[in-house]
Amino acid sequence: MTVGREKDPGPESDTGADQSPLDPAEREELITSNLGLAHQLARRFLHRGEPLDDLVQVASVALVKSVDRFDPSRGVDFAAFATRTIIGELKRHFRDKGWAVRASRRVQELYLELGHATASLVQQLGRNPTVAELAEATGASEEAVIEAIEAGQGYRAASIDANESEDDPLSARLGEHDGNYDSVEDRVLLGPALATLPEREQSILRMRFVDGLTQSEIAVAVGVSQMHVSRLLSSSLQKLREGIGRTETDVS
Amino acid sequence: MTDSMEKLAAGDRIELTFPARGDLIVLARLVTSAISARAGFDIEELEDLRLAVGELCLLTLQGHDSRYGDLRLELSVLDDAIGVQCTLEHAAPGGETQPDEDESAFLSQQILDALVDEHGRESQDGSVRTWLRKRRGVHDA
Repeated sequence: MTVGREKDPGPESDTGADQSPLDPAEREELITSNLGLAHQLARRFLHRGEPLDDLVQVASVALVKSVDRFDPSRGVDFAAFATRTIIGELKRHFRDKGWAVRASRRVQELYLELGHATASLVQQLGRNPTVAELAEATGASEEAVIEAIEAGQGYRAASIDANESEDDPLSARLGEHDGNYDSVEDRVLLGPALATLPEREQSILRMRFVDGLTQSEIAVAVGVSQMHVSRLLSSSLQKLREGIGRTETDVS
Repeated sequence: MTDSMEKLAAGDRIELTFPARGDLIVLARLVTSAISARAGFDIEELEDLRLAVGELCLLTLQGHDSRYGDLRLELSVLDDAIGVQCTLEHAAPGGETQPDEDESAFLSQQILDALVDEHGRESQDGSVRTWLRKRRGVHDA
């Protein structure tokens, strides 16, 4: 089986065997013998809302990259080198999906989702829901739910805490969230940075974050692989972050 | 907006003790998140620490029948780093180590190699101690 060739990693793939200092048979052998490692590392990232297949795909592509970047003459253990690369790619995958860099926003969103889910579960069940029930209702892991609730405690102002009743469901304690403030803030910061991106990248970002399409749906719409969309999103977001940094400096 | 979080400084130490069950390792990860964030680690380092502490707990539980044991997690905020120590207490040895346990321990060590600056494991008088140290503001190129 040739990992990394089973699914098209995208036109910009840098997983070519040409870069590897190994001969093709050695390269193939190193990939095949470390597939188990890629699989095991992918499993370590389960229960975060991503299917195992996707994680295994990311880990396998990262394994191929590790093989192609690996230089046996440096005397470094391949498994250690590959582990570092695969974990890095898995983390990047979640970051691209908005689970790490935008964690605080994601947690806030989940906290708000929990409010709606709690209200509806209270009606359905006639009692406050458990974390497991909230996790099921929102599609998040139990850990994420606990984290969002914990984070939500920090977001509430003291004056709101003072008026809190223990009998109130989570939703009643959230107060009103005016998303317009966020979008105004985002537009002020993002506008100038967004305009510097090529039209295609702007369009992909719009599909992902405004229209809410998945990476796979964007891939079909644009006619490239999902991995390529993932990479484009990653690089576009990086450019935006750098652009926002400049905008904030200019403003201050 | 969310800057109300109290910071932790060098010398601060936090302890968490919980029944040594795999499904409760989530507690260790959550506490690590909260402490690392308050100790000034960025989101990337925080994610590394969460993963690493999960592996540290798994590594501590390896080869032991932890039914009656406790895991004690100690997080120490240092000048430019965080130190985490995980100790398994009151647990009985689990008999012969299974090959898949060896494999899992090896994987945990590989993951720790990738995520933290230093780590180790030692066992003495029926208690197992693992530890790690991760510096702040040091990213791989």
